Amino acid sequence: MDGVKPGLASVRVAQLATVVVGLAAWELAARRLWVDPLFVPAPSAVAGAFLGIGGPALAGLADTLGKTAVAYVLSVALGASAGVAVGSVRLLRDVLSPYVIALYGIPKILVLPWIVLLLGYGTTPAIFYGTLHGVFPIMVLVMGAVRDVDRTLVTVARSLGATTWQLYWKVLLPAIVPSVLAGMRLGIVFCLLGVLVVEMFAGVRGMGHVMGSLANGFQAPELFAATGLVSAASIAIVLALDHLNDKLSHWRG
Amino acid sequence: MKVGLLRLGLLAVLLAVWEVAGRAANPLLAVPPSAVLPALRDLLLLRSYPDLPASLLLTLREIGTAYALAVAAGLGCGFVLGMYRLVGRAWGPMIAALYAVPAVVWYPSLMLFFGLDAASKIAFGFLLGFFPITLAVLAGVRQVNPQLVVVARAYGAGAVTVFRRVMLPSMLFTLVGGLRTGLALCVIGVVVGEILGSKAGMGALINHAYGLLRTGDYVALVLVTLALVVGSDVLASLLERHARRWTE
Repeated sequence: MDGVKPGLASVRVAQLATVVVGLAAWELAARRLWVDPLFVPAPSAVAGAFLGIGGPALAGLADTLGKTAVAYVLSVALGASAGVAVGSVRLLRDVLSPYVIALYGIPKILVLPWIVLLLGYGTTPAIFYGTLHGVFPIMVLVMGAVRDVDRTLVTVARSLGATTWQLYWKVLLPAIVPSVLAGMRLGIVFCLLGVLVVEMFAGVRGMGHVMGSLANGFQAPELFAATGLVSAASIAIVLALDHLNDKLSHWRG
Repeated sequence: MKVGLLRLGLLAVLLAVWEVAGRAANPLLAVPPSAVLPALRDLLLLRSYPDLPASLLLTLREIGTAYALAVAAGLGCGFVLGMYRLVGRAWGPMIAALYAVPAVVWYPSLMLFFGLDAASKIAFGFLLGFFPITLAVLAGVRQVNPQLVVVARAYGAGAVTVFRRVMLPSMLFTLVGGLRTGLALCVIGVVVGEILGSKAGMGALINHAYGLLRTGDYVALVLVTLALVVGSDVLASLLERHARRWTE
């Protein structure tokens, strides 16, 4: 609020210091038995455990990310096209938007048991549930973007004789690209969340299942290592999408 | 008018399709709406699940505790991050990076640490609610015009007066939005936690009904839980509107 803006260097130093001090305090607390290492293992133990579970954990992660990728492609395709369709037709938008908002808002976990009942234990419910999580945020964002497209552009294009096809292709779609990209960034975390939840609830494979079993087996170091692995993968994916987003907006001008 | 009719019509068509499809399908897997109503009646009259009130109360207590903790910690952290520039600039992006991780990855660790009882659900609800509240407070503090604070100080206003008269009004909009999002996420956190593994509460009842293929009871329990979720959000939106009117 007040004070000078701190420079990037001191910010980086403060971030590094936070991580180092945090890890050191954690290691110390675990070594001195201030916390029970059965529940909170020392970072060194977690690092060791990481080597121990490396193989199965990476296989689980690959399985999870594969399902997430399918769910993500489905979410983006369905969410963006449904968003454009519903957002651009006035009547559809008026009638459907409360339903879409409601579906977006309700906790989807409530229908998870039913999905598992219908689709069984395996890959299909994970992809379905991941898509269910990812599709609505994208659709809501795209619907809003289509609604907010500058009316003047549409009127001008129409009065200059643009066909409906041209209106969609030349006016509407370029205008909503930023929102689609924002939706894609948001959607990936939702898809991964959905897939992990199914794997924890009713999985036989994948990272969610691995983590659930480690928790049930009280293998805290291995569990922490697995949690760190999934988190790192998720952050890396989001950063990569951000990077892509920057590149695309440069290209768009 | 016409739109309202169409909305109702769509709902009626969906219910009709569900009824027809539900009757045709295996009764263990699908329940037509006509069968949901008796199940709901049995549930509410405490015939199918006599421990419904106790479960609802437990879930509500978990939500309340998680939210109270999330609000206290979120306000504290948000203000510290907002007031101390360096801390805010250093930790803000780190918190935002954690936001890029689907929160459910923390749940197995919480379950290991806090056990299967209420504590792990409270911890998970807290974790989900804490971040949006913190980030909203941080954004709110940054919205405050520093010149107003300087002027107020120069005229001799104390810290409390500055906070009440200058900061709170200009950040209230963002703050209240964050508090509402935080509540919604606390509710979801507790419900997700209960369904992923619990011995008591609405999630445990839902899992029980699902495990025994009592699909009608399952749907009725889901509807009751949904009413809880929607009810909490409606309450929050009323309070939000009230708070916003107060600033104007």
